[in-house]
Amino acid sequence: MFSADKSPGPLPAVVGVIAIAVFAMLLLRIHDQWGLLVLAAVGGIALLVAARTGAAAYAERAFAAHEPLMNGVVIIAFVSVIAVLARQDFSLLILATVLLYSIACLGLSVQLGYCGVMNFAGAAFFGAGGYTAAVLGAHTGLPHLLIVLAGGVVAGLLGSLLLLPVLRTRGHYAALITVAFGILFRSFLEVNNTLGGPQGLTVPGMTIFGWSLGKGLVIGDTTLSFYFNYALVTLGLAIVVFGVTRRLERSWVGMHFDAVRIDEVAASTFGLNVQGLKIMAFVIGNVFAGMAGAVFAMMTGFISPTDFDFSTSLVLIAIIMLGGLGNLWGILPAAAFVLILPEKLQVIQEYRFLLYAGAVILVLLFRPAGLFPRRLRRHFPLKAPSRA
Amino acid sequence: MSALLSCHNLVMRFRGLTALDDLELDIRHGEILGLLGPNGSGKTTFFNVVTGVYRASAGRIEYESQDISKSSPQAVYRAGIARTFQRSRLCLPLTIFDNIMIGNHRRLNHGLWFNVVCRKQLRRQYEACWDEARELLMTFNKALGTRLLNAAGSVSMIDRRRIEVCRALVSRPKLLLLDEPSAGMTHEETNELMDDILIIRARMPELTIVIIEHGMSVIERITNRCVVLNYGRKLCEGTYREIALNAEVQQAYLGKS
Amino acid sequence: MDIGFLAQYVLSGVMLGVVYAMVAVGFTLYFGVLDVINFSHGDVLTAGAFVSLATYLALRAAGVDSPVLVLAIMLVAAIGSMAVLGVVIAKFFVLPLRYAPPFITLLITLMIGIAIRESIRLFYPSGSNPQSFPHLLPKTAYHWGNLIVRQDTLILIVTGLVVIALVNLFINHTRAGLAIRAVAQDGETAKVMGINFEWIVLLAFALGSALAALAGVMNGLYYNEINFGTGLMLGIIGFCAAVVGGLGNIYGAILGGFLFALLQTIVVIAVPSLSAYKDVFAFGVIILLMVIKPTGMIGEVSAERV
Repeated sequence: MFSADKSPGPLPAVVGVIAIAVFAMLLLRIHDQWGLLVLAAVGGIALLVAARTGAAAYAERAFAAHEPLMNGVVIIAFVSVIAVLARQDFSLLILATVLLYSIACLGLSVQLGYCGVMNFAGAAFFGAGGYTAAVLGAHTGLPHLLIVLAGGVVAGLLGSLLLLPVLRTRGHYAALITVAFGILFRSFLEVNNTLGGPQGLTVPGMTIFGWSLGKGLVIGDTTLSFYFNYALVTLGLAIVVFGVTRRLERSWVGMHFDAVRIDEVAASTFGLNVQGLKIMAFVIGNVFAGMAGAVFAMMTGFISPTDFDFSTSLVLIAIIMLGGLGNLWGILPAAAFVLILPEKLQVIQEYRFLLYAGAVILVLLFRPAGLFPRRLRRHFPLKAPSRA
Repeated sequence: MSALLSCHNLVMRFRGLTALDDLELDIRHGEILGLLGPNGSGKTTFFNVVTGVYRASAGRIEYESQDISKSSPQAVYRAGIARTFQRSRLCLPLTIFDNIMIGNHRRLNHGLWFNVVCRKQLRRQYEACWDEARELLMTFNKALGTRLLNAAGSVSMIDRRRIEVCRALVSRPKLLLLDEPSAGMTHEETNELMDDILIIRARMPELTIVIIEHGMSVIERITNRCVVLNYGRKLCEGTYREIALNAEVQQAYLGKS
Repeated sequence: MDIGFLAQYVLSGVMLGVVYAMVAVGFTLYFGVLDVINFSHGDVLTAGAFVSLATYLALRAAGVDSPVLVLAIMLVAAIGSMAVLGVVIAKFFVLPLRYAPPFITLLITLMIGIAIRESIRLFYPSGSNPQSFPHLLPKTAYHWGNLIVRQDTLILIVTGLVVIALVNLFINHTRAGLAIRAVAQDGETAKVMGINFEWIVLLAFALGSALAALAGVMNGLYYNEINFGTGLMLGIIGFCAAVVGGLGNIYGAILGGFLFALLQTIVVIAVPSLSAYKDVFAFGVIILLMVIKPTGMIGEVSAERV
């Protein structure tokens, strides 16, 4: 039905993005449980139909073929959704959380999707950034943007402390270390009181160049939700991190990451510094997670060990597996699906980990590349050498 | 011709199995050396030890008067030694271009800043590499020239071997180690491959090649000299004619006559 | 500190060691035959414990009183059901993925573990709370001066050691065990030699899961309490122990299990105020050991062909 040889125009992709944006907006806006169930069912059926008829694949090809345009379209879609929800506290909070988790997942993509370094403690690094924000925000006068960066740095340092010792060994050792760290991080924080213990710490809200994000903007005689501010800031951060990650992938470094993941021995015989690359990927990924965690802490005003346990780390892994390992665009819909649905649909909230596990198992058995498999690398896709 | 690489008393033991047993071997500048021997005689192990994949149990390897017996694979590569693998080791999910470029590590700029920020310069390097890779690849198979952006897993086994040879050649090594490059090829394909290798060699006259092969006609045609291994030791060396007539060699390959 | 007190801790340490060793042996079996890290192992342990508890409650409701009989049936139920679960996991989730990158298998077993854990939490009545586990072993204690030794502790320790010895015997001195070792060393060649590869893998998983179930019941009998989350930590510890001993090596797994217990006990005895950090300490030392000897203390049994 959808031609496979002609290069598609941008319209199918634009339609797809708009459909997803509208769906997300409704999902966030509706509170009535039955309405949500109907919406979820409609969404599921639409997705199935799109997949079966090949429309989804066609739209995806269109998306990839018109990247710069689609970048703009997606950003506009996001801003529109944020604008429509401008006074909905809870909806905007969820949206911002989705964006922040996506940033952490971008980091995880670099580690796992590109370099093959297993990290089952993503939430711990996210939390490390948050605690950094709590401590630095409350005790120093550092500008908050620097604090966000510091959150990243602390997470990066923490990670290298962890991984440096076991890099010479096989992959499952990294898995073991990060699993253990993921589990122990929370209990470590709960056991001693220097960082607030189980009660946690309060975190001062973000202030950028005098603009206090904790106060809702006033336009005319309406006061917007202050989460509107955070949603915009997180969108900005997400755009930056996304851009950096994509450039990383489309470079020699990204290529070397892949080589290390696929065949370490061969990579080493061609001069690749396998250890160094793994450390680099691990640190970069954790820096992203730490920065996102710092913003998250400032946004919620509070941080405690419960948000950063092993289960949350597994949620991050589930997101990148479902979205498509190594595919950056796939992270957004996957994160939205994983985070928004259980938040809104009370009936499945209790069962959400069981559902996540089930979904990932299905993906691994039947579609291991994920819903949106990663595409082949084109270092400079728009300016392909004319001699090609 | 002087020795580019020589090994003395080289021993490689794996938990009770001695793969290389006091091996003495010289590789001379600019020659094409055939490395022969029955299966299990230590040929691939020799390559693995030279390229640093295995650490020798004892002995010395001298390359350009440097002792490389304890060098890492990365250091060996940087010194100008490149190889192919007996069991094809390409990154199949990556593009053909990527696969070839992995071999070019030495000549690429892999700083983080350069790769993420200096995109214009990266692009210039990329395009220069593209031209090089394409030209190199088309020497071996013209049809692949338009398929540089296809996955390496999407082409035939024979083409994959050709890509592997390109990967080893792209960094302009001084010493090229080929491990059964023509495995699985027909006579014609093998001849073609050898012709192409000779074409490359003509462009890089200082290139020294060591080739592990089982096809005797190939060996006869392309090599200057041969070394025959058996049970991890050198059995004999000389031109193909000489070693083919050697009684011990015949016995090693064919059993008692 | 007096001897009696010390000996208490030593005994409980040995008890822990026995449980850890049993879990570690399971990990090593899975890695041995399929080069696979099975993260659902700890949760199979928990599931086994819960099955035995449910069996107990059913038997009690049916009026069965004799502790020996009840215990025997509980064991059969737990071990049997978990052996089946292990086979199901292997056949439908692990074997189909054996040619995929190892990370995929690791991830799927992790997810299966979560599924088991969450199922227990959600579907067992008040599953999120700790469940009390019956006292079925004689609680009489021997007194030697300050030393108090409970009979149940002794029984459990002896049982555990005997089982470990039996598994060892099985692996090293029976034909089936030989087949397992053959597959562990070189699956392809084993197939060529006529060994039914799939059967052996299923056998290994059944054996490992049975061990886990037994360890779960033993854990319950010792602490008189089970919890849906116990398996996660025990699984990690067991994996750690197997790794530090050398994956694929049964003796290494046993050694690693007792080593981990020893490290925990040392912290509790030497620095009681830091008992809460015993896990962190033990993990820290294990990581250090892995740095010093990356292939494990006795040696990992797996080699890559270049």
